[in-house]
Amino acid sequence: MIEIHLLMLLITVLIGLIFSYLAIIEKDLLKAIGYSAIQAIAYAIAFYILMAPDIVLAYIAIAVGIYSALLVFVVSKTGRYEVV
Amino acid sequence: MKKLIPITIIILIIFGLAYVMSGKIEPQENVRALGKFYLENSYFGDYSAKSPEVVTAILWDYRGVDTLFETSVFFLAIIGSLTLFRLNKKQEKEAKERIEKVEELTLVIKTVTKVIVAMILAVSASIALHGHLTPGGGFQGGSALAVAPLLIIAAYSKYALEKQGLDKTRALILRSIGLIGIALIALLPLTKGGFIMQNQPIFPWLGGSLIFYNFFEYLAVGAGFTAVFLLLAIPEKVFKKILGVGE
Repeated sequence: MIEIHLLMLLITVLIGLIFSYLAIIEKDLLKAIGYSAIQAIAYAIAFYILMAPDIVLAYIAIAVGIYSALLVFVVSKTGRYEVV
Repeated sequence: MKKLIPITIIILIIFGLAYVMSGKIEPQENVRALGKFYLENSYFGDYSAKSPEVVTAILWDYRGVDTLFETSVFFLAIIGSLTLFRLNKKQEKEAKERIEKVEELTLVIKTVTKVIVAMILAVSASIALHGHLTPGGGFQGGSALAVAPLLIIAAYSKYALEKQGLDKTRALILRSIGLIGIALIALLPLTKGGFIMQNQPIFPWLGGSLIFYNFFEYLAVGAGFTAVFLLLAIPEKVFKKILGVGE
């Protein structure tokens, strides 16, 4: 007995997992910020399915907007590519 | 394709664990006593906060002092970052002057930004001001509000925002108004024989003091983030010139 919202939860969380992995291994930091924003959107949908609308409202503004923008500022002040 | 191997392993482990464990954990079917208390009391009960939004009622009424300290942590974080970027009056003037013509984004982006900024202002205000009725509240609304100046900085420039009158000093004044408002509303019940952050008999209307807390937190969070963004948007060249360090 699989309910449809649980299936949606599974898919969004998997998307989040894949994109957080991509954000970690990506060497181009601007791309990594983009991946992390996609992961944040997926998790926001997951929070919504888990019936936590208060968290969604804070999370989507901070994780997609403010956090990404802060990182873009940091990248613009340092370097775009991660050198190992 | 080398990237795919670790992620496949991670996903397989997660699925395996979930498959093994899901049979052993019993689903929770009843609301716990504490949750039941909040659900029954936040609007109707004897210990009512007169707010149908249980989360906001807990945040600013039942567990109000927690949120007060959380706000002070946020206050310290903003103050800390402002201290890192401290400038004197002359340097601040220097930072406000456009040193060179920055390449601007296209007309499409600028126009879309105008529309979206208006929409963000409306949505964030509704999140914060309806915080005692619907999901949302001061912090959520304030962080949504902070995205608006951020978009302006990205699409136009920091100088466009300052030209319209929203510079760092004004943002800090707004933020201070918010914090002072929260402190005053928290202390006000003491003058009427209550205790700190008391809500209901002192503010006897729908939502009680939650409306004020949400509004002032909205101002404090939105303006605090804006001040930090304005500082971060100062180009690195200007900072290096001010600090007197070369490339």
